[in-house]
Amino acid sequence: MTQPRIAVFARLANGDAAPTRLITGQNTLLGRTIHGLAYNPTRDEIVVPNALADAVLVFRAAAAGSEHPLRVIEGPHTLLVTPHAVSLDLRNQEILVASLTGRRINVFRWDANGDAAPVRLIEGPKTELGHVVGLAVDPERNLLAVANTHEILIFNRTDNGDVAPRGRIAGPKTGITDEPWQMEFYKGRIFLAASNHFHQNLYDGVTLRPDATDVPDDPWLNPILGFMGIWNITDNGDVAPLAMIRGPFSGLIHPVGLALNPKDGEVYVSDSVKNGVLGFLVPQFFPQEKPNVNSDGRQSK
Amino acid sequence: MIKKLAAGRVLRVALLAALATLGRAAPRESKSSKPSPEDIPPIRMIADPYPAFNGIAVDAANGIVAMSDPNRKSVVLYDRARAGQGGASRGDASVPLRQIMGPDSFLGMIAGIILDPRRQEIYTANNDIEDTVVVMPYGASGNVKPARVFSVPHQAWGLALSDVADQIAVTVEVQNTLVFYRRQVKGVEAPVRIIRGADTGLADPHGVYWDEAHNEIGVANHGNFRGIVKNRGGGCAPSLVVENEAEAGESRPPSIRIFAATARNNAKPLRVIQGSRTGLDWPMGVAYDPQHDAIVVANNGDSSVLIFGRTSGGDVAPLRSIRGGRTGISRPMGVAIDTLKGEIWVSNWGDHSALAFDSGARGNVAPKRTIRSAPAGTPTPGFGNPMALAYDSKRDELLVPN
Repeated sequence: MTQPRIAVFARLANGDAAPTRLITGQNTLLGRTIHGLAYNPTRDEIVVPNALADAVLVFRAAAAGSEHPLRVIEGPHTLLVTPHAVSLDLRNQEILVASLTGRRINVFRWDANGDAAPVRLIEGPKTELGHVVGLAVDPERNLLAVANTHEILIFNRTDNGDVAPRGRIAGPKTGITDEPWQMEFYKGRIFLAASNHFHQNLYDGVTLRPDATDVPDDPWLNPILGFMGIWNITDNGDVAPLAMIRGPFSGLIHPVGLALNPKDGEVYVSDSVKNGVLGFLVPQFFPQEKPNVNSDGRQSK
Repeated sequence: MIKKLAAGRVLRVALLAALATLGRAAPRESKSSKPSPEDIPPIRMIADPYPAFNGIAVDAANGIVAMSDPNRKSVVLYDRARAGQGGASRGDASVPLRQIMGPDSFLGMIAGIILDPRRQEIYTANNDIEDTVVVMPYGASGNVKPARVFSVPHQAWGLALSDVADQIAVTVEVQNTLVFYRRQVKGVEAPVRIIRGADTGLADPHGVYWDEAHNEIGVANHGNFRGIVKNRGGGCAPSLVVENEAEAGESRPPSIRIFAATARNNAKPLRVIQGSRTGLDWPMGVAYDPQHDAIVVANNGDSSVLIFGRTSGGDVAPLRSIRGGRTGISRPMGVAIDTLKGEIWVSNWGDHSALAFDSGARGNVAPKRTIRSAPAGTPTPGFGNPMALAYDSKRDELLVPN
C-alpha cells in the first residue's frame, strides 16, 4: 500500500535501519503485491513478480535506483494471472510462479523473456490449487511443495496439466490454518512462514458477494498466531512440524516472508503486524552446516 | 463480526485440543511463563518504531493536518499551523494533537486519508489486507472504535469525498476501478456506481481528487495493467472464482486521467495526462488546487511534486515542479491543499516528515514548515507490509520488497 520497491539491507542491519540501496521507480516496472522473491546465485539475478501487470521481472542482483529489469516475462502466452510469488529451481534452471487467482503454477526457463509460454503448467480441478503462494523444489527427489490455502501440497516436480497432488501436509497437528505464505527448501526440508492471518474479502471483483453480511474482523487480530515451521518434504498427512519458531519471545505474530542463510545458521522472517524483518540464529535447523564462528564464539561478519 | 470471532475461537479450541495429544513438537500455547523450546528470540529485528506517513489531508477551517501511518497502524493529527514550529523547526519530533491507534481502531495497512470538515470525520482506507474504510470522529484518540467501518474491494488506496454528490470515491488497484459509495455508507453495502472498463484506461489507480467546482474527478495511475478488464476474482484475496482465462499483462506509462464526476462504467476520460514530457513517475496522491486551478501530484519515483494545469491533457510538461535537495521531498506519497493558507502539504515516505510549501512554490525551495514523526535524520526502513524476503548470499544482504 506504500512505495513499490525492493529494499536492500546488510545482513547484520538491526533496529531502525535504512536500506543500503533501493530498486524503485517507474523504470523498474515493479508493482505492489510482491509475495515472493528469489535470488539466483548462479546468474547473480533477482526474480520478482508483478501481480498487477501479470509479469515476472528479472533484475541484476546489484541493481539500484530506477533500473529497468534485464528481462520481463509478460504477455498473453505467459498465461500469468496475478502472479504473486516466485521460486527458483537452480539445478533445473527454472522459474516457478504462483499465479494466485489463476490457481495455477507456471514454470518457465530461467532465461525466459518477453511473451514466453511456460514449459509446464499445473492447473485444473484435480490439482486442488487455490490460494497458492509459496513454492519450493526438491531437485533430489524431484518434488514440488506448494503453500496452498490452508495446507502444503506435494507434486512431482515435472507434473504438468491437471494432476492430483501426490501428498498433502494438512490438519490440526500442522498448525497451519489460513494462507500459508513464503516457503523455502533446504536439504529435504520445507521451511514455511505459516501466517495464520484470516483474510476474508467480501467482493468478487468489485461486486459485493450476495452472501456478504458482516464486515470481517481485522485479519491481523486473528488469535491463532502464525509461526515458522519445518517439515520433511516426504511428510504426508496431518503431521506436526519437525521444528518451529513461535511464541511471544519470538516476536512472530503473523509471519509471511521467509529466507534462509544456512552458512550462518540463520533464518529471516518478515511479519506483517510488526511491519519488520526478524533474524533468528538457529544452526540446529541446518544440521549439516556449521555457522561461521570466530574464536570468541561470535558469528563472523 | 461476532459470528466471525466465534468461528475463530472454535477453530482455536479445536486446534489446541488436537495439539494436546501430540508427541512431535507441535504448535501450542504455553500456560507457563517459561518460554517453550520453539519460542526463540530474534537476534536482530529491522523495524521502524516511529509513525511513517503515507496519506495526508488538511482541514484548514478546523486547523488540523492528518496523516495515515501504516507502519504503526495509526492516524496522527497535528495542529497545521503550530506543529512545525518550536522544537520541530530545530529537528525535534513534532508533538501530535492526537494519535488513533490500537486493536479496537480497526486501523491497519492504511493508505489514503481524507477529512470531512463539515461533519468532522476522518476517512482512511485499509488497503492490505483488511479491505475496509475506517471512519473516525475528529476527537478520536488512542484505542477507540471507529464511528463507522465499511467493506471495500481488496487493495483500496485513494479516497475522495463530494458533498454535492454525497458520495465517496475509492480507487481499487488490482481491479483497475473507481468505486463509489453513498457518503453515509456503513458495514456491508454495495457500491452505488463504478468506473471500470477498457475505455477508462485505469491501470493500477492510486490517488484521486474530486473537483466539485468543475464537476470532475482525477485519478493517478501507475500503469500496471492486467491486460483485460473483468469483474471477477479477489486479486490477491481468497476468491471463490477461478480466473483461468489468459490475461495479457502490460506495463503502461503512468497517467493522470480526468473523468466527469458523474461518469460510470466504461466511461472514457475527459482528458489524460500521459507521456514522457509529463515526468510522471509513480504518481501517488493527487489534489486539486483551486487557487491556481492546478492538479498537484506526489511524484514518488523521482521525489518531486508536479503541478499541471487543470485543463492539461496529452503529453504535456508540468507547469512547474518542486524538487531538489532543499525541498526535503523524499519519496512522497500524499499531497493536500490548504486553501486558507495557500499551501501544498506533502507526506514523505522516505523520511519521517510532512512538508508545507507555498502553493505557488517552484524549483528547489525549502518548505515553510516541517512536521516530523521522528527526530530529523532518523533512518527509516520504509517497510509497507513486507510479505516476501530473499537472501543474497554473494553480497550477504537481505532483500525486502513492499
